[in-house]
Amino acid sequence: MKDAITVRNLKKEFKAYSSRSGLKGAFRDLLTRNYKIVPAVNNISFQVKQGEMVGYIGENGAGKSTTIKMLTGILTPTSGEVIVNGMNPHKDREKFVSTIGVVFGQRSQLWWDIAVQESFRLLKKVYKVSDEQYDSHMAHVIRTLDIEPLLDKPVRKLSLGQRMRCELAAALIHNPPLLFLDEPTIGLDVLVKLKIREFLKEINEKYNTTILLTTHDLSDIEALCERVVMLDEGKIIYDGALKSLKEKWGEGKEIEFKFLEEVTLNDLNRITASSEVKWEKDEKEAIFTAFAEDNDELISLLIAKVVADLKVKDINIKETSTEEIIRNIYDRGIS
Amino acid sequence: MFYIAIFFQYVAQYMKTRMQYRADLLVEVFSDLLFQAVNLIFILVVFGHTNLLGGWTRDEIIFIYGFFLVPYALFSSFFNIWDFNERYIVKGELDRILTRPIHSLFQIVLERMELESLFGAVTGIAVMIYAGNNLGLGISWTDPFLFFLFVTGGMLVYGGIFVMIACISFWADARTSIMPMMYNIGNYGRYPVDIYDSVIRFVLTWILPFAFVGIYPASYFLGKEEWFLYSFLTPVIGIVFFGISILTWNSGVKRYRGAGN
Ligand SMILES: Nc1ncnc2c1ncn2[C@@H]1O[C@H](COP(=O)(O)OP(=O)(O)OP(=O)(O)O)[C@@H](O)[C@H]1O
Ligand SMILES: [Mg+2]
Repeated sequence: MKDAITVRNLKKEFKAYSSRSGLKGAFRDLLTRNYKIVPAVNNISFQVKQGEMVGYIGENGAGKSTTIKMLTGILTPTSGEVIVNGMNPHKDREKFVSTIGVVFGQRSQLWWDIAVQESFRLLKKVYKVSDEQYDSHMAHVIRTLDIEPLLDKPVRKLSLGQRMRCELAAALIHNPPLLFLDEPTIGLDVLVKLKIREFLKEINEKYNTTILLTTHDLSDIEALCERVVMLDEGKIIYDGALKSLKEKWGEGKEIEFKFLEEVTLNDLNRITASSEVKWEKDEKEAIFTAFAEDNDELISLLIAKVVADLKVKDINIKETSTEEIIRNIYDRGIS
Repeated sequence: MFYIAIFFQYVAQYMKTRMQYRADLLVEVFSDLLFQAVNLIFILVVFGHTNLLGGWTRDEIIFIYGFFLVPYALFSSFFNIWDFNERYIVKGELDRILTRPIHSLFQIVLERMELESLFGAVTGIAVMIYAGNNLGLGISWTDPFLFFLFVTGGMLVYGGIFVMIACISFWADARTSIMPMMYNIGNYGRYPVDIYDSVIRFVLTWILPFAFVGIYPASYFLGKEEWFLYSFLTPVIGIVFFGISILTWNSGVKRYRGAGN
């Protein structure tokens, strides 16, 4: 199967200007400005096959949006090679963009003042979509996303969740084989999130649409993507199956305790001093969590020690969640 | 062909949106017409006192002004790019434009069009008829075609200059106040250039060729043979300047940095 996206040694640098202090500094800024070159995306390479759903994750400022903007032809790379749908996004931009769909969660792609269906109608012309294609495809999209009642409202009068569903529909008017979603679920409630996930799964199955999505909500990734690409300071630090990420770094277990009496972290640390355990406290719920290696003997010993010393109300044993794995990787780095 | 079809799609959408607010539309049309009437009276009063200006009669000057209003009206209808830097660069709206399969400048022209400004052309033509009448100018069968050609050329000159100024935003990220200054310089195109000294004339002809929006093309209809060469250069200058501005735009877009969120 052909690759939908091929990226080789891709790099994007931004000039970050800094201003000097004081009046003298301001005058000197007029002549020569100080700037630093910041690599937002630093020599990354990866490939995405047609029909894959890939989660693109990383901390704020890691370079996710910058990558997507280069892949969609908005920004020109500083160096490196990008081939998307067999084309170079920066050459033949107009021909290229009709083969992709783009949604930026932070920013509307629709015209602010005109009704949603008018936007759709214009986009249909812009993308040269025939009536038959439009009817057969969009009727389904509109139904699945449940946006029929919103069609005659102007975009500025929609709520965030309503708007986002319309944005998604608009990005699919020309039924592109490749979809870029930059934080499509940002600020949405659980029901809308679920609806959007269901929908993305469906079009992926139905049309074999490739989807590259960034999000800070890892449950999106867990629900949709088998593969994740993790970015840190412009570099790819992990590229592979979500499952093996879990297996590799999710070895620990968590044991949650609720107590019938007042307990401090110090007490707990003292009680379990002899074994390798890390304690955390959730202030609001008064839940204490012990992080320990996934070793049955060690865990039963730990519980025995705690129970022997303190009155316990509730115990809950959990595997480390993806959220935690990722957080740990962000904190400590991959090695 | 596709671009013409899309153009009319956008015009239709524009009309539709305007029609939805029928009361607003009436008020707007009325105030536009009123504005144009005031404009007309203003022109007649201001030029009423000048009899001869550097060898041009009062009516000739009024005629030139009337002609100028037509390409200027077209320019104002389709090139609302005076806030390009704030709207498209700083706010990052260009992101959206660049993900659509139409030339980016053309999309901005379509999005920002303000067809009400076309009323200015009506005023311009009325002024020309008034002054032309006083001057006893006749109309030959070639005049409408040349008028169309010259008006288009004038609009392209104006558009080209302002597109190039908008392009500065791709290279410099500081705000500039060149836009308003340029609107002022543009006004010189409506007055006869030979009343200015030769440096200004050179600038208005070859550097910022605003003279091709008013005085040069209008001279043809006034029968000023000494300027005919320049009159017929109008469409050429228009195409050359607009062409250069598009090339500048295309290389500017490659430098677009986007807005960090
Ligand atoms: N237009 C720009 N000019 C200068 N620097 C920029 C610009 N856009 C992004 N950057 C810088 O590049 C880096 C990567 O930004 P980017 O927006 O790609 O991050 P991100 O991974 O999408 O983060 P987030 O999760 O916050 O959306 C940041 O350090 C940012 O400050
Ligand atoms: Mg981002």
